[in-house]
Amino acid sequence: MLAHPASGFALGYGVDRLSAWFLLVLSVLAVPISVYSLGYLRHGLLQRRSVFVSVVFSILLGAVELVFAADGAVSFLFAWELMALANAALVATEHESREVRRAAFLYLAMSHVATGCLFAAFLTLSAASGSMSFATLQAASLTGTPRHVAFGLFFLGFGVKAGVIPLHVWLPEAHPAAPSSISALMSAVVIKTGVYGLFRFCAFGLGVPSPAWAVLVLLCGAASAVLGVLYALMQHDLKRLLAYHSIENIGIILLGLGSGMLALSSGRAELAALGIVAGLYHVLNHAVFKGLLFLGAGGVAIASGTRQLEEMGGLGKRMPWTALFFLVGAAAISGLPLLNGFASEWLLFQAFLVGFHLSSEVGGRLLLLVTSALLALTSALAAACFVKAYGVTFLALPRGEGAAKARESPWLMLAPQAFLAVLCVLLGLFPGVVVETLRGVASSLPGVRPAPELARSVFAIAPGPGHFDHLSPLLLAAAVLLGLGVSLVLSLFAGYPVRRAATWGCGGELSARTEYTATAFSKPLMLIFSAIYRPTREVQAVGEAYFTREVTYRSEIEPTFERFVYGPLTRGVLQAAERLKVIQAGSLHAYLAYVLLLGIVLLLWLGGGG
Amino acid sequence: MSLLRWLGPGALQAALLLALAPLLRGAIKKMKAAFQTRQGPPLLQGYYDLLKLLRKEPVRSEVASWVFVAGPRVYFATAVAATALVPVLFAGAPLEEAGGILAFVGLLALGRFFLATASLDTGSPCGGMGGSREMTVAALAEPALMLGLFSMALWGGSLNLGDLVRTTAHRGPSAHPSELLAAAALFLVLIAEAGRIPVDNPATHLELTMIHEAMVLEYSGADLALVEWGSALKELLFMTLLVNLFFPLGLAVTVAPVAFVVAAALYAGKLFLLAVGVTLVETTNAKLRFFRVPELMALSLGLGFLALAIRFL
Repeated sequence: MLAHPASGFALGYGVDRLSAWFLLVLSVLAVPISVYSLGYLRHGLLQRRSVFVSVVFSILLGAVELVFAADGAVSFLFAWELMALANAALVATEHESREVRRAAFLYLAMSHVATGCLFAAFLTLSAASGSMSFATLQAASLTGTPRHVAFGLFFLGFGVKAGVIPLHVWLPEAHPAAPSSISALMSAVVIKTGVYGLFRFCAFGLGVPSPAWAVLVLLCGAASAVLGVLYALMQHDLKRLLAYHSIENIGIILLGLGSGMLALSSGRAELAALGIVAGLYHVLNHAVFKGLLFLGAGGVAIASGTRQLEEMGGLGKRMPWTALFFLVGAAAISGLPLLNGFASEWLLFQAFLVGFHLSSEVGGRLLLLVTSALLALTSALAAACFVKAYGVTFLALPRGEGAAKARESPWLMLAPQAFLAVLCVLLGLFPGVVVETLRGVASSLPGVRPAPELARSVFAIAPGPGHFDHLSPLLLAAAVLLGLGVSLVLSLFAGYPVRRAATWGCGGELSARTEYTATAFSKPLMLIFSAIYRPTREVQAVGEAYFTREVTYRSEIEPTFERFVYGPLTRGVLQAAERLKVIQAGSLHAYLAYVLLLGIVLLLWLGGGG
Repeated sequence: MSLLRWLGPGALQAALLLALAPLLRGAIKKMKAAFQTRQGPPLLQGYYDLLKLLRKEPVRSEVASWVFVAGPRVYFATAVAATALVPVLFAGAPLEEAGGILAFVGLLALGRFFLATASLDTGSPCGGMGGSREMTVAALAEPALMLGLFSMALWGGSLNLGDLVRTTAHRGPSAHPSELLAAAALFLVLIAEAGRIPVDNPATHLELTMIHEAMVLEYSGADLALVEWGSALKELLFMTLLVNLFFPLGLAVTVAPVAFVVAAALYAGKLFLLAVGVTLVETTNAKLRFFRVPELMALSLGLGFLALAIRFL
């Protein structure tokens, strides 16, 4: 620990239970991703940059660890900036491509806007408390407008890093641009630093949260969840699709946090624990399955030489293990039972419904109702999206030459995926273990008192005492296994062996060109939600009338946030800069005059006060 | 051994529903035929079909992988597992320790996920088309299903189906308009989940209109039997849930044989009435254009929302 007693400046580190939980998430992911990198960095262009990637990767890991472990604003912001810079450098690994450079720049710009907000927020707090250490910062009793301003600044700053809609625009650019091992780390852990900040400062750092904050967090969470998955459905680049799912899952985590904050604001300690535990559980779950999916996608991208879904297909036969692990991740992220995603979404539904049951005001009830309907929609849409992503990538016939020549990844890349896939199953079958740990984390937070019944046993969880609900995934698994047994017995009755034949082609020849595409698969949803997508389509037929030789088809969705929020913002900043050019004439005399003028103003202002 | 305590009743209930499911489909077909002044297939045709399919030679595509084989099995297994979460004759579910409404919906979603994924495995455009439509309809039906079930759950103070049915049976029917609305909402979801007119037509193999049938077009033999039986079971499960949640009248509270006989008779009666309702809807409506289905699901969602609003807000 570095300290300068005279100024009160200190670079301090300390780990409490909340930090420990996030450090656990980091550690669970850091090891498999590092092992994966050993195999992954041997390929192609990355081989030449493997030293660069490895070194910066280690710096990034260290920086994230420091972010979680910092116990003062100075060490936190130092680690935060180190993390942002290391991450931006890694995003720019393949900087020959213009898109990659643009993604890295966008990441850097957004990241610095976020850091600016955090600086302002920490300075506001430290002005009130007189110290930079978190313990005193959190004791600072801001009231009225400054408290709301501090919340707003923290929410903006951490929201950008977490990728909360409408602050998400950098995420779907930066995650696919980075090498896959880095994408896995970014999506699984680095964006969680934003979530960590939201938990630590927005929910528990500024006193009892006001109901308006909770509503804001819930609304942003719901928007991120639903829009995240809706945009993911329209992506045909595997890594971009996964990146949009990160936005969706951050939304789900925020729904947990928001419902916890809503309960905190009305002083319901046990109910608050439910939302907080659901959110923190999902932090771990999302890290595990999204890490797994990105690692799988990295293997697929290397083996097939493309990230475009429409050029893949048939990889399940060429990369059987990758396909199996990806399927586990796909089912887990879709919130299907027996896997980990279901357990945390189940807890989240409990938080909503118990909250509805206990609350008495109409507004809160209405909000919880709408969010639970949106959560149901989100997980169902996620399932649709992953049926598409898995089916088009791994099943049927290869649509491109790269996919046809693909080979299974080396075991160094497969073993980490196996580890994470097993973890998806274990975290889903034994939710009691996780929830019991989280009960400890939650009880260390002010105003939260988790019910002792939360974890009934290693296998079973419940929202609280009584009969509201409970879940025991291991029993469900036993029931499904029995059902599988019955189905296997029934299959034995066939008097004949299985015959293999060509797929029925409606009288014609079937080839990879007649397969259902990813675009076609998600088209019904594009038309149904066209109010959100505002799709445009262009069909061009080449040839004489009646005898078309070639058809080109292009379809696009409107990038609403980029065009209508960030477009005007960027233009505004550029115009303002254009206007300000007048005072930046490059004349030394003018600058000297500014300095003189500033000196006089300062003298008048400060001297006048005395 | 506590597992055995659940296993016995659970297995019995699953066997009962498995045995009943083809009969229900047969009855609906027969009634539909009667409405159309046709004779229709025999009532037991469903069983003959299953027997025939189970003994037939299964043909699988050369392109397909293990996912194609797993699809029907997981679909069937999850439907069988879900039977243990639903109260049928007794005011309680054999496996209510395992979970409630959310587990029930989740298990069925797991089966659907595997079957829809498997539909992409043969490279046939029909399979992909069906899988895409099935997942689309399911995604739209899910919020409506949840809200409908939540409105009952919040009234009964439990998300566990066993507990919920006990509470409602104890209270007696309240005939609150909210229950009427929720029942209507869930009836629409039942139509969508069971793939019946006006959402889907179980009797067609026209590629432009089919949803579920397109998804399973490539299956044959025992694979197809499992899909057919699984979806019949799923339909029966939804209908059981509907009748027992809204009219828990007559459910056995003790393990006395008399109580079970009464419960069985009443259950059959309630199921028959609902089946008549389903048949009436199927005979008097034309299949909706696929892009009109969202409107139907929005209606269901709205009804579920209203059901909650008039009781709780």
